[in-house]
Amino acid sequence: MELVMKDLSRQFQKTTAVDHVSYTMTQGVYGLLGVNGAGKTTLMRMLCTLLKPTSGSVTWDGSDIFRMDGAYRRLLGYLPQDFGFYPDFTVRDYLLYIASIKGLRPMNAARRTKELLGQVGLAGAEHKKMKKLSGGMKRRVGIAQALLNDPKILILDEPTAGLDPGERIRFRNLISELAENRIVLLSTHIVSDVEYIAHEILLMGEGRIRSAGTVGELLHQMPVRVWQITVPPGQAGRYLAEYAVSNVKTDADGVQLRILSQEQPAAKAAAQSATLEDLFLWHFGEKAGERHDLV
Amino acid sequence: MTWYEIKKVFSRPGSKAAVAVLAAVVAVSCYLATHIAYVNEQGDNEYGRAAVMRLRAAQKEWAGVLDTEKIRQVIEANNRVNQSPEGQAEDVRSGNIAYGRKQGFLGIRSLLNYAYAEGFRISDWYRADVLTPDMADQFYERRIGLLKDWLYDETGEAYYRYSPREKQFLVTRYETLQTPLAYDYAEGWVQLFRYAVMVIMLCMILLGYLVSGIFAGEFVQKADAVFFSSYYGRNKAIAAKLKAGAAIVTAVYFGAVCCYSAFVLWYLGADGYWLPVQAHWSAWKCFYHLTVWQKYLIIVFGGYVGCLFISLLCMWVSAAFKSRAAAVMVPIAMEFVPSFLGNLSNAAADKIIGLLPDRLLDLDVTLNLFHVYTVGHYVVGSVPLLFVLYGVLASLLVPVIYGRYRRTQAQ
Repeated sequence: MELVMKDLSRQFQKTTAVDHVSYTMTQGVYGLLGVNGAGKTTLMRMLCTLLKPTSGSVTWDGSDIFRMDGAYRRLLGYLPQDFGFYPDFTVRDYLLYIASIKGLRPMNAARRTKELLGQVGLAGAEHKKMKKLSGGMKRRVGIAQALLNDPKILILDEPTAGLDPGERIRFRNLISELAENRIVLLSTHIVSDVEYIAHEILLMGEGRIRSAGTVGELLHQMPVRVWQITVPPGQAGRYLAEYAVSNVKTDADGVQLRILSQEQPAAKAAAQSATLEDLFLWHFGEKAGERHDLV
Repeated sequence: MTWYEIKKVFSRPGSKAAVAVLAAVVAVSCYLATHIAYVNEQGDNEYGRAAVMRLRAAQKEWAGVLDTEKIRQVIEANNRVNQSPEGQAEDVRSGNIAYGRKQGFLGIRSLLNYAYAEGFRISDWYRADVLTPDMADQFYERRIGLLKDWLYDETGEAYYRYSPREKQFLVTRYETLQTPLAYDYAEGWVQLFRYAVMVIMLCMILLGYLVSGIFAGEFVQKADAVFFSSYYGRNKAIAAKLKAGAAIVTAVYFGAVCCYSAFVLWYLGADGYWLPVQAHWSAWKCFYHLTVWQKYLIIVFGGYVGCLFISLLCMWVSAAFKSRAAAVMVPIAMEFVPSFLGNLSNAAADKIIGLLPDRLLDLDVTLNLFHVYTVGHYVVGSVPLLFVLYGVLASLLVPVIYGRYRRTQAQ
């Protein structure tokens, strides 16, 4: 079980969305982190054979996925970021239709649909029309459709968008359960979605994989340290202008700042353990908005 | 898969409305086709089933072989009515009474107007009123004679329009028509043909609307990513869309046409199905040798081939441009192109117009048009060419649509 990207690039006219990406994925959950426009969706679409690369290749166990055609897609489950559906279908009809184009036999499709609706907490909504579902419910149907064929490669583009905190936790647990014996690639810009469940994190920016590894490895490679300091409200502006600040909290004692810096920003600043969110900010701070925007 | 594709189409509120519109048009067409009048002895119009029965009985009295004797009898009967006090009177009621007396042989009287016209393209409703019984034996000769005069008149429009072989082809078709013709009550078929174009044209427009979303819908609803990344997304699921399109065209078209035909023929009767089409004035000049029943089959299946071709064209536009709106425009464009070309009024444009797909949708008229083509050593009328041309093009569109959709990249 090996999905290999080799020098994978994709250009749209003058824009390079994915720029010479090489990476190998084996069994486990992979978190693809990056700001909007980093090239995550383009990369995923190529992995789903929806887009042909301008150059480079993707192979599954040594075979080119575009040559494998249906044989590769049979292994695939995909939840796109902009998940579309047929508004006048009921949830059950929608899933049965997707099951049919995924090659499931009708009996098997009906059983799997029932099973998955229970798993994503939509057992009572099977006869509801898709257009009548809330945003979170639609997303859960999207997750269910991706899982219908019990895929070996599960690609989820922003799967938690629109889910409330409880749903997100439930979804994370579901992904953890599913990770056994398959590759799960999950893209998000919500760090906590992948922090606890991803075996490896890929930080993607400007079409390239900037850094990749386990959470521990990535944090270990982080070239700055994290400091916490509480200052009077009048002084906060100076720190915000001078340093990358990953968190600002105002309370009765003053303004508590979480600062990313190689040097200790002030004598009373206390060293803290870095988190994935700090790392994300360090890599994408400028793209995500200047320091003032971040706080 | 095919079933779900069909369900996708009909689950849209717009599709349900389209089917309702079609049902309404079929109902209106049925009403118009069966709303025929019988003029009674007092000169009043009667409508309804009883009126149809009386008209049928009146025409049945004149049923039989249209030989010289029958033509003579019709000329005599027509003259008798004209010379009667009601025929001479100028008031409306008397005129109606006189008309009522002619109802039984009115179809033959109309044939006389054309057969004894002063020119091939001249239509004179009162021509039959100036005929004398001794002219009866010229009836069939004049049909051929008028055609020849039209084709070989150096000052006429037809002289340069047709090649010598094409002219000979038309003359031979006229000469080989088996005569004498026969006459019978055939009002059911006449009325059926008259309004069939309304049903078929609307079928074409609504089918274009229905199938326009089959391929574009995936993009419009942003469902393309899941579709194309699925196991059958680039093969069987596309074939299922094509099958769904063909099934919708077939079911909706034949559903509408069969309902319309069944009602009209049930109401007005199916008598006269065996008659040659030339036995009715509307097809007197037709050069195709067909019975009424054969003409019906040609109209129905021609309409089907036309609707299928135009619907496949809609599906291709829908697949290629990922747009439902662009696809919906195809049937409308099919309506406008002939009008545009018609304004050009030259021989080449005329030849092209005769082979446009809209001709298949109105075969009742197309069968009466003098569109002939030289293909190699053969001269043929436009109707068989239309069947072959659009049958082949429709068949070719299937793999073209399949290939186009299969190559789609979801950006």
